[in-house]
Amino acid sequence: MRYIQDCEIVAHDLVAPKHWRMRLRSEDIARAAQPGQFCMVEVVETLYPFLRRPMCFSEIHDDGFTLLYKVEGEGTQLLSQRVPGQTCSIQGPLGNGFPIAPELERHVIVSGGIGVAAFPALARALAETCGRPPEVILAARTRELLLCADLFRSLGCTVHLATDDGSAGEKAYAARMLERLGPGPGTLVYACGPMIMMSTTAAVAARAGASCLVSLEAQMACGDGACLGCVVESKVEHEGEKMVRVCVDGPVFDAALIDWEAHNTAYDL
Amino acid sequence: MKNPVTVASGTFGYGEEFDRYFDVSLLGAVTTKSISLKPRAGNKPPRLVETPAGLLNAIGLQNVGIDRFLSQKAPYLRTRNATIIANIYGHSPEEYAELARRLEAEGAADAIEANLSCPNVHDARTAKGAVLVSQSCEAITVYTQAIRDATRLPLYIKLTPNVMNIQEPALAAEAAGADGVCLINTLLGMAINPETRKPRLANIVGGLSGPAIRPVAVKMVWDAARVLRIPIIGTGGISGAASAIEFLLAGATAVSVGSMSFRRPDTALRVVEGIAEYLKRHQIADVNQLIGAMQA
Ligand SMILES: Cc1cc2nc3c(=O)[nH]c(=O)nc-3n(C[C@H](O)[C@H](O)[C@H](O)COP(=O)(O)OP(=O)(O)OC[C@H]3O[C@@H](n4cnc5c(N)ncnc54)[C@H](O)[C@@H]3O)c2cc1C
Ligand SMILES: Cc1cc2nc3c(=O)[nH]c(=O)nc-3n(C[C@H](O)[C@H](O)[C@H](O)COP(=O)(O)O)c2cc1C
Ligand code: FES
Repeated sequence: MRYIQDCEIVAHDLVAPKHWRMRLRSEDIARAAQPGQFCMVEVVETLYPFLRRPMCFSEIHDDGFTLLYKVEGEGTQLLSQRVPGQTCSIQGPLGNGFPIAPELERHVIVSGGIGVAAFPALARALAETCGRPPEVILAARTRELLLCADLFRSLGCTVHLATDDGSAGEKAYAARMLERLGPGPGTLVYACGPMIMMSTTAAVAARAGASCLVSLEAQMACGDGACLGCVVESKVEHEGEKMVRVCVDGPVFDAALIDWEAHNTAYDL
Repeated sequence: MKNPVTVASGTFGYGEEFDRYFDVSLLGAVTTKSISLKPRAGNKPPRLVETPAGLLNAIGLQNVGIDRFLSQKAPYLRTRNATIIANIYGHSPEEYAELARRLEAEGAADAIEANLSCPNVHDARTAKGAVLVSQSCEAITVYTQAIRDATRLPLYIKLTPNVMNIQEPALAAEAAGADGVCLINTLLGMAINPETRKPRLANIVGGLSGPAIRPVAVKMVWDAARVLRIPIIGTGGISGAASAIEFLLAGATAVSVGSMSFRRPDTALRVVEGIAEYLKRHQIADVNQLIGAMQA
């Protein structure tokens, strides 16, 4: 089921410089949403900015869901000015979430920057269904942008911190951290973050014989498969098409399907 | 058509993408993405850029091709009881004719809309210096006649606004046997990222749509309506009933909702309901009384 609903903003807090957490109320959307799926958020009621903004469901609750977002440009700036008590139009849930595969022996989440938004709901689902909670590599530019570490720990996850500037955890890139954890054929890696981080993580996983799922971003107009704006080039044809749509064929993809070279040149969003 | 509201080609997929939000049979018609003889992969990404109150696109007519349209997409729309306007795109008059013939033979369309105006594909066979078929009146004549000879279905020609005087191509389509014209396709535009100095679209240029282009579209409909005898489907930045009625007052017989379906998939249905409400409020018995009824 998909909805377009005016959802009440229950809470809206600045959690780090330019990073906000917004909790919205909607039992319908919460019931339908899966970890890794996303919604289209109407940032203003007027027609400028015109398009909705795609945001993933960071946490899914009984009575609603939480978004975690970074102020990038005009749209997210306007969204950050919304206050609790107001409503915000949400369209969703959209796309394919992460498959939950309890039979696999090891689950490793690799998060870069605001890519972390994709993972609290997943970590909870894995912790509840798998023998052991997932391991989490949490990477960001600097200490204050390492978000959700306590949330992951509260779910029983082992959290490995990394920063580009060494201000917390290791001074290392996420893919390098993954390499050190020694993934193997029984490992499923979940990656979300900057494009370069996802492609290097995918390469490390592939070398180790591990499977790797990535959550991709692309400029979207409709979020529903109609505009054909959000495509990425796939290495293999999907339903006879070489171009796959991030919104309906993804946003979660098997990293092995993605033509990373084409994707890196197309999207340095 | 049961009401004068459809959706614009390329903004509503093949109807199935949005039909989970509302019953598409409530629309006057569903206009499909442009269909070509062979499937097309379209342009490289990025294909979209948001611009003030609108967007630029360079999709490049990615579509499933006529075979899959006939075997999957049209039958699905039929199960939903939708009236189908099949939008077609080809590389030559013969290809357009072939598409129209097959659509009619298979009962897969209630009307044909020929896209002679896509700004995002580059074909050798367009007339003398013109980039788009519908920038040349001679080419419009040749293409329209070829399609006209191939089908008895109602035939609409979709024209580009990227011309000096819209009346000329509109009259050319009428003279060549079109049953109507669709105005407007997107306006050519581009956007550059000042930080990287790179174009924001892989295709460099694209087509501008959305509320930003509405006044241009209304003016073009008004211009064309003053010289045409055949009906006009007005398109360009319609965001609700009020803007749809603007097009009717300017002389359109029907309207299509385009990019606004991206913002709200059920916009076209809201336009149907909003027009009904407007007619009631103004005590107008028949929507046709609004056509060209601007009081200058
Ligand atoms: C499936 C998906 C899930 C996402 N989930 C989150 C999330 O949970 N938290 C979060 O902070 N961000 C998320 N993003 C990215 C987020 O959508 C963009 O940061 C946001 O759209 C930027 O809008 P803006 O107006 O502030 O920026 P501007 O740069 O002013 O936006 C201009 C246009 O580009 C688009 N755009 C800009 N950056 C991106 C991007 N990275 N991806 C897609 N479109 C972009 C905008 O939507 C807008 O149409 C997600 C993107 C996708 C595709
Ligand atoms: C993403 C996108 C794809 C489009 N694809 C097509 C197409 O395949 N064929 C066509 O005739 N017009 C196409 N158009 C043009 C629209 O049908 C319409 O003429 C134009 O967008 C103006 O209307 P609007 O401002 O309401 O969107 C497309 C427009 C957009 C935004
Ligand atoms: S956003 Fe429109 S097809 Fe994916």
